Amino acid sequence: MHVPFLIIGGGLSGLAAALRFARFLPDVLLLEKHSRVGGLNSYYYRNNRLFETGLHAITNYAPAEIKNAPLNRLLRQLKIKRRELDLHQQIGSEVRFMGRESLLFSNDFGLLDTEIASKFPGSYNRWQHLLQLIEEYDPFRPAPFLSAKKVLRETLADNLLTDMLLCPLMYYGSSLENDMDLGQFVIMFRAIFLEGMFRPGGTIKDILDLLLSHYQAHGGKIRTKAAVSRIISSGKRVQGVVLTSGEEISCDYLLSTIGSEETFALLHKPCPLESLPRLGFVETIFELRPETSLPRSENRTIIFYNTTATFSYQQPQTLVDFNSGVICLPQNFQDLSPSPFKEVRTTHLASYEQWHTLGDGQSAYNSAKEDTALASREVAEKILGNFAENIVYRDTFTPLTIERFTAKKQGAIYGNPVKIKDGDIGYNNLFLAGTDQGFLGIVGAMLSGVSIVNQHILPRL
Amino acid sequence: MTRDEIKDLILEIIEDIDEDADFDALQADKPLRDQLDLDSMDFLDIVMELRKRHKLQIPEEDYPQLATLDSCVNYLEPLLTDA
Repeated sequence: MHVPFLIIGGGLSGLAAALRFARFLPDVLLLEKHSRVGGLNSYYYRNNRLFETGLHAITNYAPAEIKNAPLNRLLRQLKIKRRELDLHQQIGSEVRFMGRESLLFSNDFGLLDTEIASKFPGSYNRWQHLLQLIEEYDPFRPAPFLSAKKVLRETLADNLLTDMLLCPLMYYGSSLENDMDLGQFVIMFRAIFLEGMFRPGGTIKDILDLLLSHYQAHGGKIRTKAAVSRIISSGKRVQGVVLTSGEEISCDYLLSTIGSEETFALLHKPCPLESLPRLGFVETIFELRPETSLPRSENRTIIFYNTTATFSYQQPQTLVDFNSGVICLPQNFQDLSPSPFKEVRTTHLASYEQWHTLGDGQSAYNSAKEDTALASREVAEKILGNFAENIVYRDTFTPLTIERFTAKKQGAIYGNPVKIKDGDIGYNNLFLAGTDQGFLGIVGAMLSGVSIVNQHILPRL
Repeated sequence: MTRDEIKDLILEIIEDIDEDADFDALQADKPLRDQLDLDSMDFLDIVMELRKRHKLQIPEEDYPQLATLDSCVNYLEPLLTDA
């Protein structure tokens, strides 16, 4: 079989790349290893209902009239109407450093600005300088690594405020320990603080189904349960792929969205990138009775918390680091229809190594999962109020679970700390999109797929 | 195609990219991108639509010739004589 354009990976970047291409030429085939598309942002059925994986909130909210906002550019590129998405904005979120300070923020940037003026009055002028720097900085211009933490500490001269601003941005998209590239910081700051967060009225499945239906309406083809075992290459050209079934598919252009190291492994080539520690996470979903009241949550959408004097964002020495994390309440978005359940979702940094040592599915592993859920619940209850008695179902994902279902190496959801911004991995007709290209989040992942197709493939056809 | 037909074709493609595009104040000799809030990603859609609709292969080095409505017409006129 031969296709002009072949894509490996049916996550959001692969789906968006496929749809972008299919709008002009239907000769595209998307290969997904699993039975379901979505990659990191997918879903599963348990306890008679659909549970989302990955999705807390979608960053980059923008009203329709801001035409050059990433969300609106993306929708134009994919020819999807805003009204097809059913967008619901967050109610409001919080960065809470326990016993120290709290900052509220929402999709109205004025809230964060007011919070900083009242809680960090001595730093307010410096905060304005930071905003100016962010406005003027072009994060898409190729530039060497510049430490965002260093720039923030110098600009703000306040380590607590620096950590409080970095905490949500790191948790929602940094693959690097304890720091971010300044360009990445600017992208994330705009996505989370200047733009904001939203979610679909339904579930991630609606977004995935919408992308698939547009793609298939243009004539694009998809194969699920189609895992690639090898990419066939000679010199700087790839000829196609071999599936685990033994079938060969040749192509003119190949796009890989599965990660840089993962792609080199399929090429049977050593990965030329520097190897830095990858960040693993654990996530627990607590499904609660619908009448559960969480009075101390104050209808927050997301709470990014930290309990220690210095915020640390790194691979822990233990299974899980409960000192900081993210608590998401997916029912707290504006104007959602009443739901028959409530959820609390918690995320913490975790050590892939430690979980791996326990061994997937072994009794020590299973009891560590139980302990993780309990410890995470205790932390969340300190912040939200007690809900243990109202839990009807819970499930915990470890870095091993994430690796198994998303094929992300070591379950590191934000991928390789070294990003390849232009998608060029040294081949004439093979390019990289997705997590390791460097755009993160759901809107970012889709823009990654679109921009790599725009940059490297459409102009050459 | 006549020059007017080519102009209509370009405007139709732009309207397809952005249904709210406002052509009332459009100056034919000024860059389309600045006047219509188009970015380079949108701009590629014009090229791809011309390919899809009229089998026109526009090489990357010629993209600057599509900058204004007038330059689009000048560039496309010899290519679309039989269209």
